[in-house]
Parts: sequence; C-alpha cells; structure tokens
Amino acid sequence: MSQGDTVPLHPSSQSDIDEIENLINESVQSGPGTVLAARPPSPTRPSIPVSSSSSSSPFMQSNLPPLHPSSSAQKVTHVPVPPPLPAVSNSSNFQGASAFGSPPNTLTEPVWDTVKRDLSRIVSNLKLVVFPNPYREDPGKALRDWDLWGPFFFIVFLGLTLSWSASVKKSEVFAVAFALLAAGAVILTLNVLLLGGHIIFFQSLSLLGYCLFPLDVGAVICMLKDNVILKMVVVSVTLAWSSWAAYPFMSSAVNPRRKALALYPVFLMYVSVGFLIIAIN
Amino acid sequence: MDESFANLQSSHLLGSVPAVISDDKRSTNVPIASVNEGPSASMQIFPPNLGNNTKGYQTLESPTVEGPAQQPSNNWKGFFNVYSYTQYFDVDTDVVLNRLMSSLYPTSGDFFNKIDANPDLYGLVWICTTLVFVLASLGNCATYLVKKRTDSNAPWIFDVNYMNLAASIIYGYAIIVPLGFYFALRYMGSKADLLRFWCLWGYSLFIFVPTSLPLLIPVEFLRWVIILLAGSASSCFVALNLRSYLETNNDITVVMAAAFGLQMVLSIFIKVWFFP
Repeated sequence: MSQGDTVPLHPSSQSDIDEIENLINESVQSGPGTVLAARPPSPTRPSIPVSSSSSSSPFMQSNLPPLHPSSSAQKVTHVPVPPPLPAVSNSSNFQGASAFGSPPNTLTEPVWDTVKRDLSRIVSNLKLVVFPNPYREDPGKALRDWDLWGPFFFIVFLGLTLSWSASVKKSEVFAVAFALLAAGAVILTLNVLLLGGHIIFFQSLSLLGYCLFPLDVGAVICMLKDNVILKMVVVSVTLAWSSWAAYPFMSSAVNPRRKALALYPVFLMYVSVGFLIIAIN
Repeated sequence: MDESFANLQSSHLLGSVPAVISDDKRSTNVPIASVNEGPSASMQIFPPNLGNNTKGYQTLESPTVEGPAQQPSNNWKGFFNVYSYTQYFDVDTDVVLNRLMSSLYPTSGDFFNKIDANPDLYGLVWICTTLVFVLASLGNCATYLVKKRTDSNAPWIFDVNYMNLAASIIYGYAIIVPLGFYFALRYMGSKADLLRFWCLWGYSLFIFVPTSLPLLIPVEFLRWVIILLAGSASSCFVALNLRSYLETNNDITVVMAAAFGLQMVLSIFIKVWFFP
C-alpha cells in the first residue's frame, strides 16, 4: 500500500531516499567497531520513529496536494449531477402542467407570445370569414373561436382611414363612420333576433366586423388614389366581396322565407360604407 | 277568592309582623292579578291566532291569484327582453313586398285591411333607415351636380352633416307624428291603434326612396314637380287610409287635413334641405 503510494510520486520518493542516506551517514560517524555491533540497534530504534515521523509528515504533505485535486475532481463530478436531476424533474413538472392546461403557461409566458397568439387567432378567423373555405355554411365551424378584437380593429381602422381621407370635418367623418359601423352591427344582429332567427349575439358582431376587411382594403386604395372612376371600381369589388362574405352566415340564421328581410339591412350598411369611401375626399 | 282566603288564613297562622302582613296582602294581590290576567291572556291569544291565520292565508293567496306581483314582473321582464318584440316583426319577405307595392297606390285606401292580421314595425324601421341613407347620399350628389353645372372648377366637399340631419328629421317624423295622431284620436274618443299608425306612416315614406333618384336631375322646376307629385301621393295614401279606418267618426275631415298637411310639409322640407 505505502509502496504503491510512493512509487507513482517521484519527488516524494526522492525526498525519502535523501532522508535515508542522511540517517545512514549520521550512524556511521557516531558508531565505533564493537560499539557499532552493540549500538546500531539503539540508533536504529530512535531512527525508526524519527524516519517514520519525518516520512509520515512528508507523506501527509505530499498527500494533501493529490487529495485536493482528487477531491476537487469528485466535486466537479458531483456538481453537474444535481442540476440534471432537478432539471429533469422540472421539465417533467412543466410537461405535466402543459398537459393539464395552458393557464400556467400563459401566465408565465412573455407578452410577445400572447400578442402573437392573439394575432394568429385574428388572422385565422379572418381567413375563415373572408376567404373561401368548406365551413362557410356552418357558423359554428366557421367562427368557433370568435373574438371582438378583430372587429374593433377593422372598425377603428376604417374610421381612421376615412378621417384621414377627409379634407375638412375630420372628427365628424370619424364619428359618423364609427357610429354607422358600431351601431349598425348591433342593429343588424337585433334585426335577425327579432325576425325569429337563431344567432349568437357576439358571434354575429364578430362576423360582421370581419366582413369589413375588404372594405378596409378598398378604403386604403381609395385614400392613395384620387381618381373617381377607379374609386367606384374598387369600392364595387370590395362591396361585393363583403356582401359575399356575410351572405351564408345571415341566410342560414333565419327562416328561408325571411332571408331577404335579414340580408337587406346588411347590404344597406355595406352600401353606406362604400358610399362614404367614394364620397369623402 | 277561595285561594285568597286560604292565603290570608296562612298568614294569620304564621303570626307575622303587621308590615309583613301588608307585604302578604300585596303578594296576594299580585297572584290575583296574574290569575286574572292569565286566563284573559290565554283567551286573547286564541282569537288573534285564528284571525292571523285566516288573514295571512287570504293575504298570501290573493296577490298570487290576482297577480299584482306577476304583472309588474312580466312588464318589467318583457320590456328588456328582445324576444318580446318579435311579434312586431312577424312578417315574411313576400308580405313586406306586398305592402311596399300597396304604398305606391295611394287611391286604394285598403292598407289597413291588408295589415289587419299583423301590423309590423320592420317596414317602419328599414324604410326610415333606407330613406336616411338615400337622402344623405343623393343629397350630396345633388349638390355636387349643381356645383359642377355652375362652377366646374370649384372643389366639391362631401358634407357629412347631411347624415345627421336626415336621421333626425326622418326618425323624428316617423316616431312623433303617429304618436301625436294616436293621442289626439284617443282624446277625441275615437279608436286608435299605435302599432297600426306606425305601420301606416312607415310604409307611406317608402315612395320617397325611388323618388330621390329623379330628384338628382339638376333642373329646379323638374325637381319641384317631382317632389310635389311624390308628396301628394304619400299624403293621399295616409289621408285616405285614415278615412277608411275612422269611417264612423264625424270629425274625420280635420284629421285627414292634418295628416295630408304634415306629409306635404315633410316632402317640401326634403326638397328644400336635401335637393336645393
């Protein structure tokens, strides 16, 4: 054991050899012939504890540096072990939380993720309402995850666009446009309810708001171009597009014998908006 | 009485001090009063209980049966319930179209016969809304054409206040005038139905919607001819239908004249304000 310890450590072995040589030299100088025969065991006895003590001290001194790196190595190996274990447990906890539901995630998520998710929902609803898709005839599927942010944005955007287009009375133009669109959606929904139709109030508001998207595009184009004929063409196309988008929802909500009574007010509102877009300059 | 005597005897037997005797007398008085009060209280308790029971029973039943509690609740709930108004919109597309066509023939006078089953408010609401939009938009177009004709270089600006003015005039007229006639006729003792009046005046305004298109022609004389013809037709429609509705009353001439006059005033106002 001790030899094994000393063999790999050359500087410690050299120091031990030097000490042994010193001890031998001291014993030769001090001892006569006969006395040497009798005295060598006595100096060997005191020499043994001295050498053992001296050797033990350098052993300990030599052991300390190698123990330190070995202990530090062990610590280095121990330090990364706890992090992965709690990391694994944390990840499992997060996975469990995500499996149960999104509230914890949404509570701790960055604001940008929240905004991105809301924007993606608005975009998907817009695609379902304004562009062709197989669910147009079924309001439940077409606008299952309805919201009011999209309609609010489109109404305010259209009001602002018309207000910017107007050369005079900007605030009055915005007020009329906003009142026409906001109150119009409410009145159209009430009209369907009063005709005995089955409709979800806020879903209808949401759909009518999304149907304004084509007219918003038309308003922007008319704001940039000042040609009257081009304005009429653009508004006619966007008006037809908005009416086409609103048609299946409103027609499926009421009795077929009253379909025209429910659809006419919607068309009237979009014509009013179209006229405002053309006339305001 | 006997009990009181017994108490007195017991007090004498005790041979107490006179003061104590007086206390005994008071104590004897108190139980007498309590004894007297006890049966009286017990006797009084029974009739009030019976009375309370009968009265409570009657009072509990009578409001529930007669319905003073139910009627206010029904009225209150119905006022804010959207579905309570569906009876006024219980019409189909063909019925509304038929009534619109009837409003274009003022001399028939049988409009109330056609709406006898179910007068509606759909016509009133959406004819007025259409007329507001048509007057606001075509009114601006008319000013545009006039300006182009007189001074083609001047820039034309859309007047958004036409929308507010049109809404105020048309909705105000369509709501207030039938209401005024309703109260006047009720005051005169004649039969009057507010819903039918709103229906009549609502459909009478329909003729102004197609008339607004010819009014765009920038010729002053032609505009006056068109508006007077439309106004006369609308006024005759209202007056003749009122006459057929109030045929049993003697003061019908005043009512017809008032209705005719108001309708003409409205048509002239439309001409002067929106198609100058």
